[in-house]
Amino acid sequence: MERGQQGTRGGWLWLLQALSGLLLVLLLALHIVANHFIVEGGLRTYQDVVAYLSNPLVFVLEVLFLLTVTLHAGLGVRSVLLDLGLSPTAERRVNLVLTLLGIVAVAYGVWLSLMIQGRA
Amino acid sequence: MVQERQTYGLIRRKGAWSWLDVRGRRLGAWAFALNRLTGLGLVLYLVIHLLVLSLLTQGESRWNDFIALAKSPAFLFLDVVLFFGLLFHGLNGIRVALVGMGLGVERHKTLFWVLMTIGAVLLLLSAWKVFSSPAT
Repeated sequence: MERGQQGTRGGWLWLLQALSGLLLVLLLALHIVANHFIVEGGLRTYQDVVAYLSNPLVFVLEVLFLLTVTLHAGLGVRSVLLDLGLSPTAERRVNLVLTLLGIVAVAYGVWLSLMIQGRA
Repeated sequence: MVQERQTYGLIRRKGAWSWLDVRGRRLGAWAFALNRLTGLGLVLYLVIHLLVLSLLTQGESRWNDFIALAKSPAFLFLDVVLFFGLLFHGLNGIRVALVGMGLGVERHKTLFWVLMTIGAVLLLLSAWKVFSSPAT
């Protein structure tokens, strides 16, 4: 329907974007309910955050959520940028920069989660 | 894929930002433009959200101060704006994914309006939930 990417890699990147999006519907719903809707007042206190993230299942699900949302966001930004009509060189730069930003975001999130776990 | 662009008149109306120009376009073009706008907004939110969480490394009082701020009416209103973005992007995205995979192609407009109706109900429920939380 609305396949933004063109070119040979567009097809499987589009599929990756669609599948990560569908997975996000589930992971985000879980994230919002678990972090906000079932929490008294909508936001966990400091001690509650530490206790929550110390649950290994929670840690795994939140990291999976971070990986999926970072991938989906990166592919989405790439689609928007590529529609500006970039040269092959500029496209390679976009790919490189977005990949690096994605790695930084995930590494930061995992580091942050481990730091918070360490406060338990 | 290129045919889809013609459907939305992007061939006639070329230009880098033509996807944003929905004048005289069909429903799909509006959905596409709003999907991108909400998507870009959600990326911005994601970055802010991740940065705000770093307050957790600065100790208990910094985090609890933030919680107090986040419960102010202006923040709660922004939460509802966020829910609009999430619901539109997520529910419209379900349609884009399904139709792109060849599912429900003939009924994509019905699918769109069913999903948007679900979204409107969920938006009202989330707004109620956001504003009814105890302000402690």
